[in-house]
Amino acid sequence: MAIASNTQALFTMSMVAAILPQLIVAFGATLALLLVAWRRSQRTIAIFTSVVLGMSLLVNMRLLTMPAMQVTQLLKVDGYSSFAFSLILISALVALRMSHSFLKAHTEVHDEYYLLLLLMVLGGGVLVTSDHYASLFLGFELLSISLVGLVGYHRESVYSVESGFKYLILSATASSFMLLGIAFIYSVTGNMSFSAAIPNVIYHQQGLGVFFQLGLLLFVSGIVFKLSIAPFHFWTPDVYQGSPTPVTMLMATVSKVAMFVVLLKCIVAQRYLLLENFQLFLLSFAIISMLLGNVMALKQQHLKRLLAYSSIAHMGYLLIVIIVASAQGLAFTWQSTLFYLAAYTVANLSIFMVIALLQLQRNNGLYQEDITRDDLHGLFWRTPSYALLMILGLLSLAGIPLTMGFIGKFYILTQATLAHAWWLIATLIVGSGIALGYYLPLIFKMFEGRSKASDKTKATLGPKVGRRIDKLLVYSFILLGLVLGILPDIINQFIG
Amino acid sequence: MTLTCIMLALLFAGGLAWRAENHWQGSAKWLALIALALLATVFAVFVMSASNDFAQLQVLSRVSWIESFNIEYSIALDQLSIVLIALTWLLAIICVLVSWHEIQSNVGFYYFNLLLTIAGIIGVFVAVDMFLFFFFWEVMLLPMTAIIAIWGHENRQFAALKFFIFTQVSSLLMLVAIIGTGYFHLMQTGQLSFYYPDWLLLDIPLSISQYLMFGFFIAFAVKLPSVPVHSWLPDAHTQAPTAGSVLLAGVLLKTGAYGLIRFVIFLFPQASLQFAPIAATLGVVSIIYGAKMAFAQQDFKRLVAYSSISHMGFVMLALFTFNSTAYQGAIVTLVAHGLSSAALFALAGMIYQRIHSRNLTDMGGFWHSAPRMGGFALAFAGAAFGLPGLANFIGEFFSLVGAFQVMPAFTIIAALGLIGSAIYGMVLFQTSFQGAAKQEIIDLQLRELLICGSLLLMLLAIGLYPTLLLKFSFGV
Repeated sequence: MAIASNTQALFTMSMVAAILPQLIVAFGATLALLLVAWRRSQRTIAIFTSVVLGMSLLVNMRLLTMPAMQVTQLLKVDGYSSFAFSLILISALVALRMSHSFLKAHTEVHDEYYLLLLLMVLGGGVLVTSDHYASLFLGFELLSISLVGLVGYHRESVYSVESGFKYLILSATASSFMLLGIAFIYSVTGNMSFSAAIPNVIYHQQGLGVFFQLGLLLFVSGIVFKLSIAPFHFWTPDVYQGSPTPVTMLMATVSKVAMFVVLLKCIVAQRYLLLENFQLFLLSFAIISMLLGNVMALKQQHLKRLLAYSSIAHMGYLLIVIIVASAQGLAFTWQSTLFYLAAYTVANLSIFMVIALLQLQRNNGLYQEDITRDDLHGLFWRTPSYALLMILGLLSLAGIPLTMGFIGKFYILTQATLAHAWWLIATLIVGSGIALGYYLPLIFKMFEGRSKASDKTKATLGPKVGRRIDKLLVYSFILLGLVLGILPDIINQFIG
Repeated sequence: MTLTCIMLALLFAGGLAWRAENHWQGSAKWLALIALALLATVFAVFVMSASNDFAQLQVLSRVSWIESFNIEYSIALDQLSIVLIALTWLLAIICVLVSWHEIQSNVGFYYFNLLLTIAGIIGVFVAVDMFLFFFFWEVMLLPMTAIIAIWGHENRQFAALKFFIFTQVSSLLMLVAIIGTGYFHLMQTGQLSFYYPDWLLLDIPLSISQYLMFGFFIAFAVKLPSVPVHSWLPDAHTQAPTAGSVLLAGVLLKTGAYGLIRFVIFLFPQASLQFAPIAATLGVVSIIYGAKMAFAQQDFKRLVAYSSISHMGFVMLALFTFNSTAYQGAIVTLVAHGLSSAALFALAGMIYQRIHSRNLTDMGGFWHSAPRMGGFALAFAGAAFGLPGLANFIGEFFSLVGAFQVMPAFTIIAALGLIGSAIYGMVLFQTSFQGAAKQEIIDLQLRELLICGSLLLMLLAIGLYPTLLLKFSFGV
């Protein structure tokens, strides 16, 4: 007697193919554990991790143009999620390279660090493909918990304990809020899947009741906590500043991309936007974030703190896309979001890469914990390539043409204009005006002083090969930023 | 195609100058000069040899650029843009000449920025895809800001920041208007388009077009600049190095006027007509306010900067009277002001190099030691207050004559600005060149004579034979 009475198998080979990138990372994490038991060497595990991530990226690239596919009830792989996962993998690869040189600066073998990194990427991969509250929570926790480990990883740092605890406690609170919210939602709808259709009638009568609305608010507050959208942003500057730079880089890219994609997925699938109260919440979140983030960043001296506030503002900009989303323009909403996220990721990777390299590049060979505005003084004349990369990243964040950030802003403005969201546009323009007040002085700082040939300092740490890789990364990101900024169609073809 | 090559060549020459300076000191300025002269010749030959007279917009190339938004790389020329580009070439060469000895640090990078600015400005004048226009509009801003922020005077970073924020915020409004018009095209014809000739065919109801026009207007009014969004200009002009001031006053302000003509008045004629009283009022206020502020200044460059606001007020007034005489007057004023203010800023730079001050109280009696410089200063000050025989007179005369037929009351008040300009012109000349000699300075040298001489020659030529410019219709 045939066991499979239904014609459709639960799990087919094509499903395996669809989630192969995530599977590779998962197996990679397991193998890494074995590897640690076999041989403890920083070099081996670093190479192993990058091979895993690289393989996953290659496989994932192939999936970009594949049709959407439901993998069990929990996951759904489509072009959008594959694109987001590519962003995550690229960020992880860059962060890996940066962590390698950062960890080298401290004696000890750091296998756990690489493991946590892999787990975090896996969490991101699950999040972007999730199609069910259960898988969402799984990815969310995987990402958060490994991030907690990474944030407090640098034991010798004065900030480590503070930022680690802050992140742990607040993140756990956010998770429990979210879980409670999911429970409330489930209590009303009786289904945990995103794709479960809730009848139109319910929305139009606004008859989902207080429980549902409360649940939704709790659920969203859990996610916007991770996105550091105001008023859930208080942890951001401290944790950004306190974590090791590569981890900050991961937090600014992997975590943001994954969380935002899953938020959009969930909201779009469940049509929560039809609820007026909910729109009001998002609207106020966006406006507060745009203004507060930019204003608070103005006076920051510490670069990572400054970027933390600027990330608050950027998530506010991006929230506009969700607020103005309409059922007809869903593809366009996705396109805008993913392009903006890509631009944001590239810009953040560029800037944090320079910060990480600057931390290592001390004359006395010591690792420098804090990078302030003054450390940028005359950077353009000392190391033009770093300065160029940083300038491109900053201009991209400021949304000036020639960079991807401008095209991203163009997308957002287009969306908002189509929806006639004039107040949001006004806030966006005011916010970007304020933002120039801190991006430009940073750039000016790099041009201060005079060029002197004798003044050139070379990166003193690391072997020659390592320096070459860093240099290659720097140059390729300069090129990437410029080419994609001028020819955005290269990206559009994947998300169009 | 040729134009694209010219812009790319400017970019390339800039990069080359930057690199070359590291190897051979002093090569950057020669490279920049040669490249500019060569490319200007190429441009002249290209325009001369073209078979048509460019009375209408002549589209030169159209290539698809960003397909998801149907954005094209499309460039075109007409008489208006040709005249302004010619002005740009002339002033670009002047810029290189005035920075010859002034720029001592990071020379290579300076010329790179200068050439990049020129490329961006030319791009602004030729782009007919609105997205491309916006792209160039911002691209020319970046190197200009760098020039102010790196090689400017004591308060340069603040001035550069102010300049950038004013322009950027206002141009975001323009971007919204661009997107709005593009999607209006989508609604009306079923196809998204940012192509300017397509937009000219649109029939936009006044209720929508007034807002769209306003978005464009703000951006160009900031750049022009017009009261009340002018406050970046005195700072930027004062703090910029000489070449920066020359370029700002000579060409960058003209991009604002160019935008007003092409993208406000021609694109939204009805909405502009409705808006005309407000715009004309702003123009008149700018004229009077600029003149009043100018003669209260102690700083040579600040004085000239405020006089620019006054002159651009004439342009604004003339444009919004929709009279063909006034329109031609406005264009002559653009060219004339480009030449005369560039000349005055160049003079300020020459004086600054000699006495290391821009303050009028430090000057006086220069005539005794530098009569040639005094002669030129008198001529340029005369040009600034509209002395007959020089180009500015023609411009202001035609503007006022044309405007009087449509808005007599406004024109009468505006004409008072001419008295103001005579006052600040004479104040400028008298405090610096007449009176007791406070310092001995060296008279003009060959390079400086060349700069002043060529500018004066142009001013005289247009002043005495205005048909040079008036024979063109400029698209009316």
